[in-house]
Amino acid sequence: MSYIKIDKNKCKSCYLCMDVCPKKIIQKSNELGKTGEYIVEFKDEKNECLGCAQCAIVCPEIAITEVHKNE
Amino acid sequence: MQVFSVPKSIKQNSNFTFCSGCDHGVAIKLVAQTIDELNLQDETIAIASSGCSVLLYDFLDVDCLEAPHGRACAVATGVKRAHKAMGNNKFVFTYQGDGDFASIGLAESMHSALRGENITAICINNTNYGMTGGQLGPTTALGQITTTSPKGRNIEYHGFPIKTAEQIALCDGVSYSARVALYDIKNIINAKNSIKKAFEYQKKGLGFSFVEILSSCPTNWKLSPKKSHEKIKNELTNIYPLGVFKDINND
Repeated sequence: MSYIKIDKNKCKSCYLCMDVCPKKIIQKSNELGKTGEYIVEFKDEKNECLGCAQCAIVCPEIAITEVHKNE
Repeated sequence: MQVFSVPKSIKQNSNFTFCSGCDHGVAIKLVAQTIDELNLQDETIAIASSGCSVLLYDFLDVDCLEAPHGRACAVATGVKRAHKAMGNNKFVFTYQGDGDFASIGLAESMHSALRGENITAICINNTNYGMTGGQLGPTTALGQITTTSPKGRNIEYHGFPIKTAEQIALCDGVSYSARVALYDIKNIINAKNSIKKAFEYQKKGLGFSFVEILSSCPTNWKLSPKKSHEKIKNELTNIYPLGVFKDINND
């Protein structure tokens, strides 16, 4: 099972990861971040994550700290 | 299998001070990944400049110096030469914005390139003075509205913008000069390859290597991060074409 880890303290709610995710499993959460906007969360109920790491490549804050890919 | 982790050269528990969606963070991440890949962390001396890039030493876990405004390439020259005289082969690079590299520091930057100083310069081009509130800079595009050009940049009053990567490529001492962008995955990977090449050329002692990175400035452009990337893709790349303008190994 592939998964990512998001550092909530680093997310600045730019939502670039949401746009780039091919499975759209990174979504806005109900939690407010430092910028006063909703931060993102990783919600993968159907185990869809590919482990492609595109979200980690575009994240300007390195808030996506780990990407694990299942082979 | 872990396919991505925070680069070793990034200080743990350090938070970037950039605005939401700013490409500076991506650029620093690419630099850190390249330092890790080439195993340069112990021998690197980074030269920070004035502008949004001023706090580079807070994020990068390498030796850093802070240069006066615009003088990063001059400081890098001194650092490189002093260490060479002592028998140390240090890896020296500058990390500057366009206002620092191409405006106040144009003389220092250009002459370092002309002398063929064996350093690497990375210039973040976001087409304005980001830190001070988005004033008109040398790279501001014609027609672009900034706080000091409320009717847009016009040729009659402000003149033409500078195309840094092309200008630097004309200098004889330059080994590598490229312009890259960070608006999508493909371009981010391209940018990383360019930075790696520039770093490798310095390691081989081929001369001045330069990478200009077209970066977004969502706060001062007054656009969302996504729309800023679209602006780079649709507008800025027409004015500032991407590509490699000089590569000493291919010429």
